[in-house]
Amino acid sequence: MFRLRFWFLLPARVWFVILFLAPFAIICAYSLLTRGVYGGVERPWTLENYRRLIDPLYGSILLRSILLSAAATAICIVLAFPLALFISRATRRKSLYLHLVILPFWTSFLVRTYAWMFLLRDTGLVNTTLIGLGFLRQPLPLLYNEGAVLLGLVYGFLPFMVLPLYATLERMDPTLLEAAADLGARPWATFFRVIVPLAKPGIWAGAVLVFIPCLGSYLTPDLLGGGKSVMIGNLVQNQFTNARDWPFGSAVSLALMLLTLAALAVVYLRGPKEML
Amino acid sequence: MTRRTFLAGALATTACRRDHRPRLNVYNWSAYVAPDTIPNFEKEFGVRVRYVTYESNEEMLAQVITGNSGWDVVFPTHNRIPPMSAMGLLAPLDHARLKNLGNLEAQFQSPSWDRGLRWGIPYMWYGTGIAFNRSVAPAPRSWADLWSPRFKGRLTMLDDPEDVIGASLLKLGLPFESTDPAQLRQAQRALFEQKPLVRAYLNAEVRDQLVSGDVLAAQLWSTTAAQALDAAASLDFVFPAEGFPLYCDNAVILRESRRQPLAHVFLDYLLRPSVSAAIAQSTLTATANAAGRALLTDKIRNSAALYPPPDVIERGEWPGTLPAAAQRLRDRIWTEIKAA
Amino acid sequence: MKRGLAIYAALAYAFLHVPLATLVVFSFNASRFTLWEGFSLRWYHTVFTDPEMADAAWNSVIIAVVSTIISTVAGTLAAYALWKRASRTISGSLYLSLVTPEIVTGISLLAFFQWAFRWLGWHLGLYTVILAHISFSIAYVAIVVAARLRTFDPALEEAAMDLGATEWRAFWRVTIPALAPGIVAAALLALTISFDDYVITSLVAGVDSTTLPMVIYALARRGANPSINAISALIVVVFGVLILISERLRKA
Repeated sequence: MFRLRFWFLLPARVWFVILFLAPFAIICAYSLLTRGVYGGVERPWTLENYRRLIDPLYGSILLRSILLSAAATAICIVLAFPLALFISRATRRKSLYLHLVILPFWTSFLVRTYAWMFLLRDTGLVNTTLIGLGFLRQPLPLLYNEGAVLLGLVYGFLPFMVLPLYATLERMDPTLLEAAADLGARPWATFFRVIVPLAKPGIWAGAVLVFIPCLGSYLTPDLLGGGKSVMIGNLVQNQFTNARDWPFGSAVSLALMLLTLAALAVVYLRGPKEML
Repeated sequence: MTRRTFLAGALATTACRRDHRPRLNVYNWSAYVAPDTIPNFEKEFGVRVRYVTYESNEEMLAQVITGNSGWDVVFPTHNRIPPMSAMGLLAPLDHARLKNLGNLEAQFQSPSWDRGLRWGIPYMWYGTGIAFNRSVAPAPRSWADLWSPRFKGRLTMLDDPEDVIGASLLKLGLPFESTDPAQLRQAQRALFEQKPLVRAYLNAEVRDQLVSGDVLAAQLWSTTAAQALDAAASLDFVFPAEGFPLYCDNAVILRESRRQPLAHVFLDYLLRPSVSAAIAQSTLTATANAAGRALLTDKIRNSAALYPPPDVIERGEWPGTLPAAAQRLRDRIWTEIKAA
Repeated sequence: MKRGLAIYAALAYAFLHVPLATLVVFSFNASRFTLWEGFSLRWYHTVFTDPEMADAAWNSVIIAVVSTIISTVAGTLAAYALWKRASRTISGSLYLSLVTPEIVTGISLLAFFQWAFRWLGWHLGLYTVILAHISFSIAYVAIVVAARLRTFDPALEEAAMDLGATEWRAFWRVTIPALAPGIVAAALLALTISFDDYVITSLVAGVDSTTLPMVIYALARRGANPSINAISALIVVVFGVLILISERLRKA
């Protein structure tokens, strides 16, 4: 019987009530209220905000967010896998390679996004170099479009995919590969028939760690998308600041939470058991 | 040292102030003071000013509207003053403390949005127009020109619902302040048509892109445009033919402020000719202070972008405050445009 | 296949590091624009002499340190208690907190603070930011410490108690030292996340609590500014050094 349990759990319980439950309850309440003329909330209680969510416009924002996040996740998986494989197979300096992956993550997300703005502008490094080398005469519009947003998302979350993949690949039993080779499988066959299936827990873990933050991201589409590509995160932020429509913003947040939970449910039901 | 004492010490450091001079919290637009404006004020009156900047009225209002933001002086655009005062957010000005009030231009002594200057001091004024690269021929002269396919991908509009929806209304020959839902929807449709041409919705950030030539035409405020024109000879600015909005940013004191006397001192300081001239000279903005304007160099005083001649001003209008329902509809339309 | 992987890895690392390297290189550019016009330290000078920047950096440090200390303590205690005997509510809510998008955490905390402050008459300030940071850090700490606990043998604690130690002494003298690397890793994680958080901080910050990311964002919104490159370079260097130190400590 762990007698100190009460005291040990107390900070977490206080956190739970004040900083988790209460805010969540307030948001639920706000989503059912009406917007004050210049901001704030007031009665009457209404379902108007949820009715508004059903509008196809917001459906398209939702869809765009899901598609962009799914695309970013898929690209991350493809890009991260060979890298994780490389690190897991490295005989020395494994720790160094891992640190090189993590180092960008330790710098600010904002800084990394800004780095891409710096590179992709018309007068940014990429265009200046390409024009200087004679490949282009006019700068390419690399910034302020969904491609730039996708690039920013992939760049920001790639480490989150590499690490879980690495963790799974590292624990892989090398004798399985030997067995496959003994049975006459060529490298590519081994890769797709043995390695990838065994790495599934890592892929699922990484996918969750990338997909969900992408869904809720707002800085990347805001800075790299030029205010043109609105994702759910932008919508929420916008309603709470510029549009001063807290009730609607709350309803959208809850929708986003629901989406997040749905994604998790998919993982729980379809993902490999080892992940949990 | 135990964990507890360390924690207590750390928390205490966050609470203690680094100096004990009186404080004043000022929240202003970016690039609206000269480098020495605030330090000089601090030195002369022995106070410490916390000076933070914002990029849009909404950003400022989001904090102020709560009634306990902690700010003493903020700078809303003129058409935000009536609702702010209606909501009890503003402290009435004590003219006895504002000796330099007479320095203001005649038109700002009792403007339509604040008769008798009960709530705010006009600070800087400007209009929205089109900044463009001279290499573009023929040069844009009207809002309708911004719908031209020749600007595809090299055009930006402001990230501001009032200006963008307003420009679309003016292009269609409708009133800038229209509250008619049918007219607003028309404007919205026009903006949907324009969107494929728009590179991005940007405010002051577009200045660098104009200077470097990435952007050929931008809907821009005249002060930001003046700054861009100053940096590159290839740029020009025009107030569109169909009409354009004029705005005036005002210094107001918040009712929640517990430092109202000091805030008045600050406002009076801003009204000094030398101070307002220094600011206008440094930031290339149009000051509402007549005495200050007289002290400016000729080049700036006669800048057509900053101080347009009377016949141009005739075409402009000072937008008022919209009724709640219209405001809601416009907010919604803006969300839809950004999301399309 | 091995050669191919190595080449790919090199390209991948380039992709990860070139943007940051470019930022750092151009922080030394004498000109404001992308054309290199000579080596100069002027942007660093601007960064170091700007009082707003100094205030923001100081705020960021205070917030990061205080919130890390509190959340590491709370998270470690919670992870340990949950390891001894599960509590579905607490572990469920910790997990949920981890997956909640930042923007949702931010606005819900903002709404809560504004509602509470209407009765209390308080303002947003440094302490609301600290509370918000604690709010999202606890889950991270708990996860990392819980992972470390899975490799800890409970027999060690039982042995200590058999030898007469109280529960608390066993925890403090046996478990904590064994968990130390995990706790340090968790604290470092919380520190980093707190230091570079923008979304949540910008929503709940008050008059006095501008942080470094907020300054960077404001500068970025006003257009290209090499001061951002300079600050970024400084942040990269500082955290690089911190990681190096922590690795040395871990191996020692």
